Amino acid sequence: MSTASPAVTANRSAPLNPRRRWWPTPKLIIIIAVAGAIGYLALVPLYYLLWGTFFDAQGFTLGGFATAYGDPRIGSLIGNSLWFAVGSAVLSLVVGTSLAYLNVRTDVPFKALFFAASIIPLIIPGILYTIAWIFLASPDIGLINKVLEPIFGTAAVDIFTIWGMIWVEGLHLSPIVFLLMVAAFRSMDPSLEESALMCGATRMQVFRKITVPLTRPAIVAAVLVMTVRSLESFEVPALLGLQNGIYVFTSRIYFVLRSYPPDLAAAGALALGLLVLAVVGVAISNLVGRAGKSFQTVTGKGFRPRPMELGKWRPVMGAAIVFYFLLTVVAPLVVLLYTSLLKFYQAPSMAALRTMSLDNYAQLLNMSQAATALRNSLFLGIATATLVMAVMAIAAWITVRSRIPGRQLIDQFAFVPLVIPGLVLGLALSFVYLRSPIPIYGTIFILLIAYVTRYMPYGMRYSVTSMQQIATELEESAQVSGASWWQTFRRVLLPLLAPGLLAGWIYILVVSFRELSSSILLYSPGNEVLSILIFEQFENGQFTVLAALGVVMVLTLVVLVTVAYKLGAKVGLREN
Amino acid sequence: MRHPSIIPAFAAMATALVLTACGASPTATGGADTDAKGAATAKAQAVYDRINGLSGDERHKTLVELAEKEGKLSIYTSNTDMDDLVDGFEKTYKIDVSVYRGNSESVLQRILQEQQANYFGNDFIDTNAGELNIMNKEGFLYPYQGELREAVRKEGKAEGWTASRFNAFVVGWNTSKVKPGEEPKSIEDLADPKWKGQISMEVGDVDWFAGLYSYYLGQGKSEAEVRDLFTRIAANSKIAKGHTTQGELLSAGQFAITVSSYSHTIDKAADKGAPVSWHPASGGPIQPIIVRPNGVGLMKTAPNPAAAMLFTDWELTEGQKILAEAFRVGSIPGATDPFAGLTVVPVPEQELLADPKKWDDLYAQVVSAGQEVQ
Repeated sequence: MSTASPAVTANRSAPLNPRRRWWPTPKLIIIIAVAGAIGYLALVPLYYLLWGTFFDAQGFTLGGFATAYGDPRIGSLIGNSLWFAVGSAVLSLVVGTSLAYLNVRTDVPFKALFFAASIIPLIIPGILYTIAWIFLASPDIGLINKVLEPIFGTAAVDIFTIWGMIWVEGLHLSPIVFLLMVAAFRSMDPSLEESALMCGATRMQVFRKITVPLTRPAIVAAVLVMTVRSLESFEVPALLGLQNGIYVFTSRIYFVLRSYPPDLAAAGALALGLLVLAVVGVAISNLVGRAGKSFQTVTGKGFRPRPMELGKWRPVMGAAIVFYFLLTVVAPLVVLLYTSLLKFYQAPSMAALRTMSLDNYAQLLNMSQAATALRNSLFLGIATATLVMAVMAIAAWITVRSRIPGRQLIDQFAFVPLVIPGLVLGLALSFVYLRSPIPIYGTIFILLIAYVTRYMPYGMRYSVTSMQQIATELEESAQVSGASWWQTFRRVLLPLLAPGLLAGWIYILVVSFRELSSSILLYSPGNEVLSILIFEQFENGQFTVLAALGVVMVLTLVVLVTVAYKLGAKVGLREN
Repeated sequence: MRHPSIIPAFAAMATALVLTACGASPTATGGADTDAKGAATAKAQAVYDRINGLSGDERHKTLVELAEKEGKLSIYTSNTDMDDLVDGFEKTYKIDVSVYRGNSESVLQRILQEQQANYFGNDFIDTNAGELNIMNKEGFLYPYQGELREAVRKEGKAEGWTASRFNAFVVGWNTSKVKPGEEPKSIEDLADPKWKGQISMEVGDVDWFAGLYSYYLGQGKSEAEVRDLFTRIAANSKIAKGHTTQGELLSAGQFAITVSSYSHTIDKAADKGAPVSWHPASGGPIQPIIVRPNGVGLMKTAPNPAAAMLFTDWELTEGQKILAEAFRVGSIPGATDPFAGLTVVPVPEQELLADPKKWDDLYAQVVSAGQEVQ
């Protein structure tokens, strides 16, 4: 890539050499390639979705909207959906931000626990995490209720309520916020807070008036992603809400997609509703992030983040962290581990303990495709995360930095896949690649394309947020000193973006291990992935084997993410 | 920054690309080279017709010879016990088998997509009745004939495909919550308010519902009476999603009774020692038992038609034993018929195929009406 600079020099002298005037510079090529890739990846499923929504065998129709929104209970559906989505978004924002702030900016004890506390809920497959919470907090069989019974009477907590749904979904989503906010806090100059403290502001005032406004781009991004995600979420509303008749939008969409032929029109109508919300959200996020230099805390002035001393609050915070860790990570994980050693789930007792064995793990070892699936999932996870973050770093530059007209479109396109149901994405991709002369259908690369498409929106949010914190003056000085665009990007911007890029990389790696809804249509024999195995065990009623598989997945990913963090220490996601 | 209109231009280009790639409509049939389909069909049909016309040893010998010459077999399935079937098959014959397994919806969608694009990815299909009926309606399947098909239970001799096993929907209970002697005797019993909050219904069991609903109409109940019965059962119920979750929660005691569990889910859990059963201490299980066939079909465009037929034979012979070991109900009644003497009602497949939305809506209505009563 160092060959880039002579080419640029050549271009600079272009006016002197008219024959070479129209030669594309590497910058132009890269920008066009990135914009083209994003446009292509987003438009294929979007086109398929729009077609399915507005056209049926008879021609143009709006019938899908009638099916999706014309329910007599539409009021309560919207009410429940919004309550659930906003509640989960707020919970994950508060939890994720607090953990990130304490971790990055203070001398809170047990920092090692943060890492586990913030990543493990993300790794455990949604269905296992939700069922673990049923075993913990069901009014009938919940272990927590058994423990609390002597004090608070029967059924002190009830997971089958909207609050229970918000609790599980919010905790499950909080790692996205944690990773976003850790990167944001890392790139924030603490001297701003310190000056405020010097001037006599209280810690609370500093947090409200200095810290929050400075990280606003990250907060907006988090709220945006969380709200759309919880509006789309199906597992938690299905497993916890249905029992007592709490219906949300996605419960409806589940039915229209599972009947034959799948009612793409209704699914599309819902997705378009979400799309409008997302477009507005992305526009707001850019408006907020563009508000001048106010968030650009990474400037030419050097700084070294120094942890704030908590003083007498240190033990209190320490205890709070341990409690949070026990409740949200250890408890569900112990339930899974316990279940994975049983033949069927039963409340802990001497009789249950006597039946414990490693049979479920032995069964995993004997599973024909377990090794292949693990290998494929690793390949896809690492390749997807790397590709997405590499492309999105450049896309973020285009949106945030360049003045190319229409640059906002890139951001909007990159966000589109977030609202496209996995099944629709799978159908769109198989439609295109079954007819493509390049043999991609039936290979692992169609899964790679699906994953890159699905996780593009997250990569974009992580990159844009980081980019908005970096002051333009650093690039300007590099360019004044004669660096080419590519040199500036690689030597100045990439290292500064690294915390955000790494956070996004870890997130995508972890969630791509769980992707099922498009994988199940697109994989081929030999290209099995772990989520397919999980699905098979689930279909087969092997719940305890599934728990064992969940435990193995958590261990594998914890090791992988630890390695990434250790490497990340060098690029600033972690201090020291 | 000197490239003012790169991105809109690119968006336009990408759109153009997609449009050309997709043609006019993504739901229209490929159609370009129907010749390929014709050739594949003719080749497979010759093999199918030849074998369908033979019987006994001659048929088996010819089939094995042809199938081993093909040497390969591609199966698309939603059958969760496929691994054991394939292992045995590969040990017996020199044929490499590749298996794509998904839920029945994705198996169907995949075949629809592939057939529309003239991509012949599979030879053999093993999935649920509903999806097989759709594939037969689309003209993807070729009839399988012979002595084995004749031996299949009458509910399983479908047009275009053949049942290999049955899912039986039974009323199951947790034996530590429902003591022996206190079990419900009939489905009507479950409407009794004494079971309030103790029962579980599954949110997607529309076919079970349609089967039972039609059965009660046939017994002389009026539509209003049947709806009232289901609404009152729903009023006693907690709604679960997925038979596996529901089965695990029944073992754990989250509810006492499930109205539409698969018999094999309960039998498997009981075999592991879980306190569940669908057989009361005395008397027969709650009836009628709604059954839904799962079956196998031969693809018209199969690249390996003989292997596909050999596997069908395998699933209806050795396969029946393997299925029984997994607590499944085979389609060819053996020495012990698990349904002997019981009232068994098949799911009204054709009716569901004709108007699926009607039944989806009706079931959703009954469930939510019941929940509002609570």
